[in-house]
Amino acid sequence: MRDGAGSASLAANERPSAARSLLVDWASGGSWRVSVVPIAAALVAGVLLAVFESDFYRSQNLHVLMQQCSVLGIVTLGQLLVLLVGGIDLSVGAVMNATLIIIAVMNRHHTQIAASIVLSLCLGVAVGLVNGLLVSLRDVPPFAATLGMLACIQGALLVYTKGVPAGNIPKELRPVALDGVGIVPYSLIICLAIALVLWFVLRRGTYGRKIYAVGRSPEVARRVAISTTNVRVSAYVMCGLFAAIAGIILSAYVGYVDPTIGGNYNLQSIAAAVVGGVAFTGGEGSVVGALTGVFFLLALLNVVTLSSLNPFMQLIIQGAVMLVAVSVFQFLKKSPAN
Amino acid sequence: MSRQYSAVGRRARGAVAVAAVIALATTVAVNASSGARKAQLTIAFVSQGTSNSWAAQLDAVARKTAKQLGVKLVYYNGQGDATKQLPELQTAIATHPDAMVVVPLGQAADTGPVERAMSAGIPVVLCDSKINSDKYTSLVNPNPATATVPLTEWLAKKMNYKGNLLYIGGLPGNGTTILYDQGFNSVIKKYKNIKVVNGGNANYSISTAKQLTATAIASGKKFDGTWGVGGEAVTGILQAYVDAGVKPIPPNAGAAATNGSLRLAIENKVQAAMLQFPPVDSKVCVETAVKAAKGQKVPKEINISKLSQYGNLYPPLNRYYKSQYSDDLYVGTDAVLTKAELAAIHLIR
Repeated sequence: MRDGAGSASLAANERPSAARSLLVDWASGGSWRVSVVPIAAALVAGVLLAVFESDFYRSQNLHVLMQQCSVLGIVTLGQLLVLLVGGIDLSVGAVMNATLIIIAVMNRHHTQIAASIVLSLCLGVAVGLVNGLLVSLRDVPPFAATLGMLACIQGALLVYTKGVPAGNIPKELRPVALDGVGIVPYSLIICLAIALVLWFVLRRGTYGRKIYAVGRSPEVARRVAISTTNVRVSAYVMCGLFAAIAGIILSAYVGYVDPTIGGNYNLQSIAAAVVGGVAFTGGEGSVVGALTGVFFLLALLNVVTLSSLNPFMQLIIQGAVMLVAVSVFQFLKKSPAN
Repeated sequence: MSRQYSAVGRRARGAVAVAAVIALATTVAVNASSGARKAQLTIAFVSQGTSNSWAAQLDAVARKTAKQLGVKLVYYNGQGDATKQLPELQTAIATHPDAMVVVPLGQAADTGPVERAMSAGIPVVLCDSKINSDKYTSLVNPNPATATVPLTEWLAKKMNYKGNLLYIGGLPGNGTTILYDQGFNSVIKKYKNIKVVNGGNANYSISTAKQLTATAIASGKKFDGTWGVGGEAVTGILQAYVDAGVKPIPPNAGAAATNGSLRLAIENKVQAAMLQFPPVDSKVCVETAVKAAKGQKVPKEINISKLSQYGNLYPPLNRYYKSQYSDDLYVGTDAVLTKAELAAIHLIR
């Protein structure tokens, strides 16, 4: 009797446990399965959108969404690199603001697009280099180093502009964001090209393996003669460079001198990466996951606008999606096989 | 011997006399200088601080006004952030100035310190924003709650009192946004045939406003009018319409009148009406603070929007646009600042 009851109870307990182990077995197949989660979620969302918000698939809306995805996508790819080496970059928004000011000021009286773009990219690289050196050589916590950099850049911009940014965004620059091939804007093509190169580097190249190694365990990476300093600095430099590229594209998209243009991109890029399965602890995440996170976040905001839902709900929805995504990834990662 | 003694006595008397003269002169000088210090009033100006072009113009006008009035203006930089402004406000109170001008960035956060300043006998003039208390000396404010009423009426009329109205909001919880919405909602609820499509909150960001509007346009809905809370929202709305190639661009209202919003409306032939949120009202703020410091009676509220030069702007808008100045110039600033002063804050094109 006792045995019978016990076995019945055991069977009842085993059912969820069996389901869990099934999921765990599936998840333990490799890190690619963790990357599959955001893609699968995006596909499910795509089907639901087709049913409940058909305006989403209007070509004009997809064009707008792609324009927005390209800017956040490029910033998130930079953030991905920094997160992979166990860091974080809170200065990307400030780099974007600085890029806009450089372009606006340099093209105020004479068109100097090429020179202003080169200078913007150099600024991004320089900021990334300083961030990387602070984090790697001086052991400044990434949060503090990049937050300090954000304050420095914003302060410098205010001192220089006195709060009144002058200049123009040149008309010649605008097609980068506004025009494209069919409904695909050039900016998205740039984003996807960067993503493709990065995917190849991270998946197939030695550099990619070093990035993951430094993120997973800097100590072990050092023991196998990987220069953690070089890898970390290079990740921050790439992040600064990508932020500058995104700043140039966003300037072209907005077409107006707005010195706060990059304000939202610090947190949005981190949120997109996290939703896409990139770990805060370093060493985990992928290009595909990060870009899917970008699409997921922006598609959600797009649907909120299309459906005329209460905009106050936007933050709640965004927060809820992040929480669910992080919980799912944690569950998958904690599987015994992983 | 006696001549020797008398010589010593004369020298002593002389020394005492010189010392007395020096002491007297010092006392007179000290009294005179403290009298001079007392004569020059000190006004603490707790500003929004270095953050945007509106604040830069507000500060420049306040400094100029103080100079003209012969008062000492001590500047406290809020850096555009309520949490950074709070310690500045507390420091200003500790110095016990003759009066204070405060540009509140946190309606709730600034309430306590302002009340403490008033309790300490420091007159406080609130410039452009309210606090959650009526313990202040005077409020100098464009009052968007009343100024947006005729603007919304104008927009409803332009829409023939029907159709879709795209609304792009400001910053949720922000005092100015709340007042904007009060005025807008009080009018729009009367017109049942106008459907307000909430496009989202732009948080006073041009790029966010543009992205929201671009999405709304891309949805395929046709809008008969657009409303933006503030100049940034309206700039984003118009920029999105221009880039989407939609013509004609529907009538718009809600912008704070800047040279840039005027230019966009004129260049793209948009029927637009604008509210004035003039940074030059810091002139009135400083003047009111000086009066209060002198013990003169000042009004509890000065509604800038009711002054003729700061009223709403309606078409034709080219009356107000000044091509020689940059997009960031607020209408009216050039009436107070000279060209050199405008150039110093990058407002000359």
